[in-house]
Amino acid sequence: MHHETVMRTEGLTKVYTMGKTEVHALQGINLSVDRGEMIAIVGASGSGKSTLMNIIGCLDYPTSGTYHLDGVQLQNLSRNQLADIRNSKIGFVFQGFNLLARTSALENVELPLLYDRSRQKIAIRKTAEEALERVGLGDRMDHEPNELSGGQQQRVAIARALVTNPSILLADEPTGNLDTKTSVEVLTLFQELHDQGMTVLLITHESDVANCTQRIIELRDGKIVVDKRIEPVKAHMTTVTDESEETTPAFT
Amino acid sequence: MKGSTLIKIASQSILKNKMRTMLTMLGIVIGVGAVIVMVAIGQGAQSQIQDQINSLGTNMIVVTPGSSRQGGVSRGAQTYNRLTIKDAEKIKRESLFVSAVSPVVFSRTQVIGGQGNWRTTINGVSTDYQIIRNWDLKYGRFFDQSELRQMRRVMVLGHTVAENLFPEEDPVGLTVQVRNVPVEIIGVLEPKGQTASGNDQDDVVFAPYTTVQTRLSGWSRIFQILASTPSSRDVPAAQEEIRLIMRESHGISRFAEDGFTVRNQNDLAETEQGTTEVMTMLLAAIASISLLVGGIGIMNIMLVSVTERTREIGIRMAIGARGRDVMTQFLVESIVMSLLGGLIGVGIGFAGSSILSQLTGWNTVTSPTTVMIALAFSAGVGIFFGFYPARKAAALNPIQALRHE
Ligand SMILES: Nc1ncnc2c1ncn2[C@@H]1O[C@H](COP(=O)(O)OP(=O)(O)O)[C@@H](O)[C@H]1O
Ligand SMILES: [Mg+2]
Repeated sequence: MHHETVMRTEGLTKVYTMGKTEVHALQGINLSVDRGEMIAIVGASGSGKSTLMNIIGCLDYPTSGTYHLDGVQLQNLSRNQLADIRNSKIGFVFQGFNLLARTSALENVELPLLYDRSRQKIAIRKTAEEALERVGLGDRMDHEPNELSGGQQQRVAIARALVTNPSILLADEPTGNLDTKTSVEVLTLFQELHDQGMTVLLITHESDVANCTQRIIELRDGKIVVDKRIEPVKAHMTTVTDESEETTPAFT
Repeated sequence: MKGSTLIKIASQSILKNKMRTMLTMLGIVIGVGAVIVMVAIGQGAQSQIQDQINSLGTNMIVVTPGSSRQGGVSRGAQTYNRLTIKDAEKIKRESLFVSAVSPVVFSRTQVIGGQGNWRTTINGVSTDYQIIRNWDLKYGRFFDQSELRQMRRVMVLGHTVAENLFPEEDPVGLTVQVRNVPVEIIGVLEPKGQTASGNDQDDVVFAPYTTVQTRLSGWSRIFQILASTPSSRDVPAAQEEIRLIMRESHGISRFAEDGFTVRNQNDLAETEQGTTEVMTMLLAAIASISLLVGGIGIMNIMLVSVTERTREIGIRMAIGARGRDVMTQFLVESIVMSLLGGLIGVGIGFAGSSILSQLTGWNTVTSPTTVMIALAFSAGVGIFFGFYPARKAAALNPIQALRHE
């Protein structure tokens, strides 16, 4: 596969001002991601992982620095433009699933397509059904979130992230709320999507999760301290061997 | 975003929170229902008054002594010209438009006979009176020209008087005493019912004005002259004509005031209608307050719902909803809720009006205009009170909204 850059940041910083104190959450992030890569972002709690992810996901503005996505520089964009980029180019998976309550899996997955204004007429229902089938929930389309297990809810969320066929799939601790077995299933799903050519960026606390990826980036105090490529291990193998040192799910 | 999609999103949200939706709509339902009922009562009263005014007689013109008052306020010193029999005769003789004329002399008196005695109003009129008032007889006949000329002691009873003195009986041919004078009953009139101000039009007896002036009362002054035209089109012309004839009859100089007043039925009606219009407005205003309260209720729920649904808004924004989409969703939700509430309110208002008129006997009128206005108003309430919460929702920052618990 040839190396085509999907996204690139240069000197990205983020400063939170809270009264008189300033928190430098990101201090000059230079990161380049190729299309089709699967990357794990690791680091201690408070090291700036979520902040970076939110900026990459166009949910937040950086304080300074540049950010290119799909060759387009995202600077001085309006709220509406950011919303459109979130809709068409980004798929976001959260730790807490963030599905709409009392809304069927299918309706949840349809939602991004309803907000899509770039494409003209598309078969919303059919596209959403295909996305749910892709994550193995073809038989749960009419279930509402409270009728689904945590793993199933997260898969609905992944289907919702996929349904617009985004340039990049972002996941902020997607297995943080799941038990080990379900985590494996969800990670396997991410690997499958990666195998199908999807660019995946996932934040994790757990080293075994990180080992499923090709590349690990470690953040510390808002800086990248490690950026290494590794040989990925299949998700189910690692969890079986690392069962003894089971980490408690971290809530951030 | 497409309109249909927006409606879809908003109606999904409305249906998913049935309890909240119902509570929100309740205020509008009650408000619109109240407006419909109140306006129905007011318009019912108005139409009743119109009926009664029509029952006074068709194309009737009334001449009364004294200058007219405008809007109930006297314009300076009043000139006062008494009406005379000569005036009535002159109008009858000279007017081209008027077909019937009758002077009215009246007096309160006791009528004794049949079951006892009855205090009523005795009206001295001419034979034209029956035509002017368009009043049919139940029994017997009205007096004729020769009886008038000869000042005969004959009398036509109003329905109420007949009912009280001679219940369920045809009194034609019987005699009653008025001021110790025996008077023969020659007819009984059909009932006309109450006037707008609540007077019983049937509590009255009629006799030739000549008889009343000379034999039945010491009072000979003419209270008013009534006239009518064959067609309502001629009424304004007849009014002007009567005015000129009257001025001539009284020898009123060119710049002097009339000293009498010529009015038609509509002039009479205007005062009464004016009062009920004010009443309708007042009732509608009171009811609108409850609609306003309903609107504030919607705003309350929508505001609470913005806070309660902050996370939902965050999710929608994270997957690509623009601030505007969120705002429109909230607006559509509030408009749909208030319109739906308005529709239910219209139903309840109609039911309430008909129940009320059955219970109280009041006349109620429900018109499509009221419904349209009520619905437009409730949509307006939805937009007005939905706007602020909607804007508040749209201004949320996606990350903060997502973090909201
Ligand atoms: N909205 C915010 N306001 C102020 N400080 C924040 C905000 N979000 C994050 N921070 C701070 O920025 C730093 C990085 O946070 P975060 O990106 O959430 O870390 P991580 O996801 O790696 O745990 C932390 O010190 C955190 O307290
Ligand atoms: Mg975090």
